[in-house]
Amino acid sequence: MKGRLLALQIATPLLAILFGMLIASAIILVIGRNPLDVYAVMVRFSLTRTDSLFSILFKATPLMFAGLAVAISFKAGLFNIGVEGQYYVGAFCAALVGFSLKGLPMVVHLPLALLAAMVGAMAWALVPILLKLRRGAHEVITTIMMNYIASALLLYLINDVFRDPAQIGTPRVRTPDVALSARIPSLGPLLARVGLHGSDVEKVNLLLVGGILLAVVLTYFLSRTRFGYEVRAVSFNPLAAEAAGIPNARTRFEMFMLSAAIAGLAGLNDILGFFGYLDIDFPKGLGFLGISVALLAKNNPLGVILAALLFGFLDRGAAGVQFFAQVPKETIVILQAIIILAIVVAYELLTRYVRTQRKREAELVAPVAVPAGAGP
Amino acid sequence: MDPLFIELQGITKNFPGVIANDHVDLAVRRGEIHALVGENGAGKSTLMRILYGLYQPDRGTIQVNGRPDVIDSPRRALELGIGMVHQHFMLIPVFTVAENVILGGEPATWGRLRMIEAKQQVAELCKQYGFSLDPAALVGRLSVGEQQRVEIIKVLYRGADLLILDEPTAVLVPQEVEELFSNLRRLKEQGKTIIFISHKLDEVLAISDRITVLRRGRVIGTVTVGQASKAQLAEMMVGRPVLLDLAHPPVPPGAVRLEARHLSVPGASTRLAVRDVSLSVHGSEIYGIAGVEGNGQTELVEALVGLRALSGGALLIDGHDVSRTTARAIRLLGVAHIPEDRHRRGLVLPMAVWENVILGHHYRKEFTNGPLLNRPTIDDFVRRRVHEYDIRVADTDLPVLALSGGNQQKVIVAREFAFAPKVLVAAQPTRGLDIGATEFVMHQILEARGAGMAVLLVSANLEEILALSDRIGVMYGGRLVGEFIRGASTPAELGLYMTGAKRQDEATVG
Repeated sequence: MKGRLLALQIATPLLAILFGMLIASAIILVIGRNPLDVYAVMVRFSLTRTDSLFSILFKATPLMFAGLAVAISFKAGLFNIGVEGQYYVGAFCAALVGFSLKGLPMVVHLPLALLAAMVGAMAWALVPILLKLRRGAHEVITTIMMNYIASALLLYLINDVFRDPAQIGTPRVRTPDVALSARIPSLGPLLARVGLHGSDVEKVNLLLVGGILLAVVLTYFLSRTRFGYEVRAVSFNPLAAEAAGIPNARTRFEMFMLSAAIAGLAGLNDILGFFGYLDIDFPKGLGFLGISVALLAKNNPLGVILAALLFGFLDRGAAGVQFFAQVPKETIVILQAIIILAIVVAYELLTRYVRTQRKREAELVAPVAVPAGAGP
Repeated sequence: MDPLFIELQGITKNFPGVIANDHVDLAVRRGEIHALVGENGAGKSTLMRILYGLYQPDRGTIQVNGRPDVIDSPRRALELGIGMVHQHFMLIPVFTVAENVILGGEPATWGRLRMIEAKQQVAELCKQYGFSLDPAALVGRLSVGEQQRVEIIKVLYRGADLLILDEPTAVLVPQEVEELFSNLRRLKEQGKTIIFISHKLDEVLAISDRITVLRRGRVIGTVTVGQASKAQLAEMMVGRPVLLDLAHPPVPPGAVRLEARHLSVPGASTRLAVRDVSLSVHGSEIYGIAGVEGNGQTELVEALVGLRALSGGALLIDGHDVSRTTARAIRLLGVAHIPEDRHRRGLVLPMAVWENVILGHHYRKEFTNGPLLNRPTIDDFVRRRVHEYDIRVADTDLPVLALSGGNQQKVIVAREFAFAPKVLVAAQPTRGLDIGATEFVMHQILEARGAGMAVLLVSANLEEILALSDRIGVMYGGRLVGEFIRGASTPAELGLYMTGAKRQDEATVG
């Protein structure tokens, strides 16, 4: 049963992806292209070129953090829809530390910038979680509201308070450059040694490794530690957890803060890893993509890595089909959306199936275990 | 002898993995009260659902009035005169009795309800069968017993000649049971046939003409009342001799372990659910709290184990004032808690059996290894508990939701009795359990008493309270309205206190 269950759990997202491809095929047919050709272009372009592969890794990195942040909150039975706003604030705090402090060695400056990102995001998450735990305000609503505020606040800070004086008179609205000591080291030099070169290779930075490590650590943390155990109890049955003496509110609070801290790092791949400044047009929407990623991964941290890579692949593939197959890349966006819908349905079906299987199994076990001396 | 009304032959019903009914034969005579008894999962409900058209049998035939028939829906069952009174009432509280009764079969002309006619019909039915009900009363204001009468009238209104009653006494106090039985006898006199599902043998012997016993989906036998004793019936149900009378040896009570002084506890709304309750439970003593559900027992229990803040009074465990402390602190003082709803409060259903066995003990030093859980020690502990309490599970990694109700309750008992608790607060500990599991839990509670624990037992089952308690307190309207020592009261007398008809002076209670 266990082996079959695992196989099913892996097969479910694959089936959902297949279903999404089928629907997207219909759309491509309507446009008048051969779906098989389009998918072939997509796969060839994304997976056979070095620059594409590294572009996928670069795109996937922030999605890992955003996905992990969302997954962690879901694990505690909370819906952190505010990852978006939290990483805005985190990115700003990191940039602020990056460009305002000077002359620090990297071993101090970079960790300080990362810390600033996490603390900033946690501070931003404080209002919704306190409203939730103290007053019962639903975190979905409050975090969405906080997203709007974060968005407006960032535009104000970048445009009116911290705009790089050197850019005045140009159309560029951005902060000053982050000191080199606060930039996240690229993996480019390391990869160059194994013969990999190119601008896309150089974009990939240490955060990629950090994201993967974080996923591994979180998996271990949730499954092996006492705190992880308490988190599961609280999320599955808060009333029983309460009766067992587990402080519900505190556990939820801690998980939400952890979620926000991870969210704070989501924007840094671009800000500290690539651009080196915070532009008013910095990449947005990572938080919402993170929700999709977490959903696809069923909140499993290791699954988040795979889901983030899939999204990176689709993103790159979309550019490929647009260019080489003259199919609008929105087709691929639709494909993404259908996969998400299909996955939700497929997981629900899987859950029901597993439930009936387990019941059946338990009932099969029962007759064997007749008590000693209870025979007729 | 009356002719047969219903004859089921060779009814077999499979569910994935289980045979719910295995070649069941059942013959019900016109005008008799036929009891169907058996433990949970014996197949009583499945059989009745087949008869009522909710399930289709895989094999077997149904004959009604000597003619074979296919009952493919409740509608068809009603056409044949078969009606069912469900255990859980399906009534709309804001409607009147008459409105509830006609629901689904409303008399109407061009869409206009003939309400006056309906009311008259309902009133006539009540008169005919001697039911005391006001057709114009709002159902939400009625007592549980009265609501049940509405359910019965509902079925009669639809023209049923055979009434299936699914565990009708589970929710009633003794006086209400008496009234139900007199109603049922009246129905029988008027020629109605009744199938009475129960596992309370005393009641079955009091009301029925014949009894059919089911066990594991099979008919063990059908007996005429007077042919078999209670003990014999119990053995037929369980498959082995059952000790019906628990040994209750006198044990000298110890010091006061649990004490409530003028306890007041808020309920869901602003009004108090528990008002000024004072009681004390000694070591080696079982203090039973009787009462109709919803009279503050739930809130009292939650307050005693630290899950609900007090709005007045004091709570002492072993002399420590715990009026303002957490559930964990109370647990650490040695208070074990068997919650009234094991699915809501007692277990985390999707989590593994082992995880549920350590729930609440998981922060103990021996179970942790720094921030990590110490799996070897935990596994060892769980293995011993599972063995000692005979929890039937193939693999403790399975989620606890895969276990039967009895085994789930054993998980809770095994957990709560670990680490030598001093006080046990047990709420409805045998609810929904079959005879075997009930016997097990009751034995455990008596053993806890023997081991010096102070036990506070809350139960809606009066038999259980009477069988186990050294002292009995009756709760009504959030207050303790009576207190009796073992043997000093009869069920009927307790029933008067439970319904609020009688109460003792303030001075003698608590």
